[in-house]
Amino acid sequence: MHPIDWAIIAIYLIWIVWDGLRLTRRSNEIEGYFLASRSLPWWAVGLSVMATQLSAVTMIGTTGQGYVDGMRFLQFYYALPLAMIVLSVTLVPFFHKARVYTAYEYLEHRFDARTRAFTSLLFLLSRSMSLGVVISAPAVVLAVVLGISVTNTVLLIALPTAVYTMFGGVQAVTWTDVKQMVLIVSGLVAAIVVLVFALPADVSILQALRIAGSTGRLQTFDFSFDLSNQYTFWSGTIAALFLFCSYFGTDQSQVQRYLTTRSIDEARESLLMSAYWKIPLQALVLLVGVFVFLFYLFAPSPMLFNQVHERALRDGPRAGDYAALERRFETATAARRDAAMALARVDSAEDPAAVSAAGEQFKAREADVRAIRGDALALVRDATGDGSYNDVNYVFPTFIITHMPVGLVGLLIAAIFAAAMSTISAEMAALSTATVMDFYRRFARREADDRHYLRVSRLATGFWGVFASAVAVWAAELGSLIEVVNRFGSFFYGSILGVFILAVGFPRATANGAFVGLIAGMASVAAAARFTSVAFLWHNVIGALAVVVVGLVVSGVSQNSKFKIQK
Amino acid sequence: MTNIRGKYVRVLVLWVITLAALFLFQELFS
Repeated sequence: MHPIDWAIIAIYLIWIVWDGLRLTRRSNEIEGYFLASRSLPWWAVGLSVMATQLSAVTMIGTTGQGYVDGMRFLQFYYALPLAMIVLSVTLVPFFHKARVYTAYEYLEHRFDARTRAFTSLLFLLSRSMSLGVVISAPAVVLAVVLGISVTNTVLLIALPTAVYTMFGGVQAVTWTDVKQMVLIVSGLVAAIVVLVFALPADVSILQALRIAGSTGRLQTFDFSFDLSNQYTFWSGTIAALFLFCSYFGTDQSQVQRYLTTRSIDEARESLLMSAYWKIPLQALVLLVGVFVFLFYLFAPSPMLFNQVHERALRDGPRAGDYAALERRFETATAARRDAAMALARVDSAEDPAAVSAAGEQFKAREADVRAIRGDALALVRDATGDGSYNDVNYVFPTFIITHMPVGLVGLLIAAIFAAAMSTISAEMAALSTATVMDFYRRFARREADDRHYLRVSRLATGFWGVFASAVAVWAAELGSLIEVVNRFGSFFYGSILGVFILAVGFPRATANGAFVGLIAGMASVAAAARFTSVAFLWHNVIGALAVVVVGLVVSGVSQNSKFKIQK
Repeated sequence: MTNIRGKYVRVLVLWVITLAALFLFQELFS
C-alpha cells in the first residue's frame, strides 16, 4: 500500500480519537455520560442508529455476498421500515416517559427486578461475545490485506474506540458515529464511481447490468415459502420484522441511541431515518459487490482472494494441484470474458433470440468459473483442515488494495475502520450502561454521587473494551466457530422481544408470567435449533410467540391463584 | 408539534415505491 494511503488511515485514527475526546467535558455527570443529558438532535441520533447497525461485516461481508450471490440478501431488510413504525408507536414512548437508562430498567417498572436483571444479563452475555466477533471479522481480513498481525489490527480498531468511548461517553459515540457514517457512505460512492469507470469502453452500464442480471445477481425478490431458506421475501418481511423489533427495540446498543434525544417525537424521527435510508443504503453496498463481479469479468481475476492461503497453497505440498487448477481457471475466465463481451454486443443489436442464446452461453461459462473456484476453495479446506473456509470477506478488500487509485485506498480502508468503530463504540457504551445501571447501581451501591458512578462507568467501558479485544483475538483463531458465537445471540433475541410485548401489550401479564415465559421462549428456540431445520431468522418469531403464549397462561394461572387465596 | 402520523404514512408510501422500484429493476435486467 502507498505511504499516502497509510497516512490517510493514520490521520483518520488520530482525528477520530481527538474528536471523541473533545466531548469529555460534556460528560461530567452520569446522565451526560450515558444519555448526553437527553439533548441530542434527531438527525445526529438517526445517523448514529444507522452507523451502529452498519458494521465492518457489512462493508466486507455484504459486498462479498453481492459478488458471489448478488442482491438476494437485500430481502433481509424489507421489514425494517415497518419495524421502525411499530417501535415508534409502541416501545419508544414507554421508554421515554419512564426516563430509563436501559431498556431492561423499564422491565423493573413494569414487572420486577428479577426480569430486569435476567434480560440485562442475557444482553451482557450475548453482546459481549458478539462484540468480540464484530472486531475480529474485519481484523482478520485487514491483517491479510494490510500485511500486519491480527493482534495489531484488533488493537488498531478497539483501542482508539475504547479510549474515546471511555472518556467521551455517549456524546463521543454519537458525534463520531455521524462523521464515520459520512466517511462510510463517501467510500461506498467512490467505490461505485471507480467501478463504473473501470468497465470496458465498449460496455455500457446498462449492458453491464444485463450481464449481471443474466446470472441472477440482480434478483431482489424470492417469493418461495421455504422455512429453511434465510433470504426469501417472507422471511425478510415476517421473521425479520421480529428481529428488527427486537434489535432496535430491546437491544441496549440501539435503545441507548434514541434515549439521548430531546423528546419522544425526536426519538421517533431518528428511527424513521433508517426507515427511509436503510434499504437504499444496503442496495448500494450489495451493488458495489455486483460491480466488483463485473469488474473481474473483464479484468484478470484472482482465483482465491485470500493472498495468505494462496501463497501457502502455491508453496505447499499441493502446489501441483493448485497450478493445474489455476491453468483451468485462466482458460475458463478468458472464455467467460469472451461470452460476456458477446452478450454485451448482441444486446446493443436488440435481437431477442441472439440475446437469449448469448445469455445462455455466458451463464454456462460463468458456471465453469464458479465450479473451478469451488474446487480451489475445497483445496484450501483440505489443506488447512478448516471445513467451512470461504474467501467471500476478502473480495472487496482485495479489490480496494489492488485496483483503487492511491488516496481512495486509504479512504476505503479508513471507511472499513469507521464501520467497525461506529458499531463497537455504541456496544461498549451499552455494555457499560447495563453493567453500571442494571447491576452496580441497582444491587451493589444504590447511593453514591455522580463522580463515583462516572468513575465506575469509565472503568466498566474500559473493561468491556479489553474483554472484547481478548474475545476478538481468540475468535480470530476460531474460524468457522464465529458463526456459532453469532447464533448464540439469536437464541435470546426473540424471547427478550416477547417479554417487551407482554410488558406493553398485555396489562394482565404478571412478573411471574414474564419470567417463566422468557425461560420457555429460550427453551423453544433451543428446541427449534436442535430438532428442526428452520432458518435462524424464524427463531425470533418462535421465541417471541412462545414467551407471549406461556407468559399469558402463567399470568392467568397466577392471577387466579391469587384470587383464590384472597377469597 | 411534529405530524408524526403523516411521517408514518410517508414511510409506508416510500416503502411501497422502493420495493416496486427494486422489483422493476430485477425484471428489467433479468
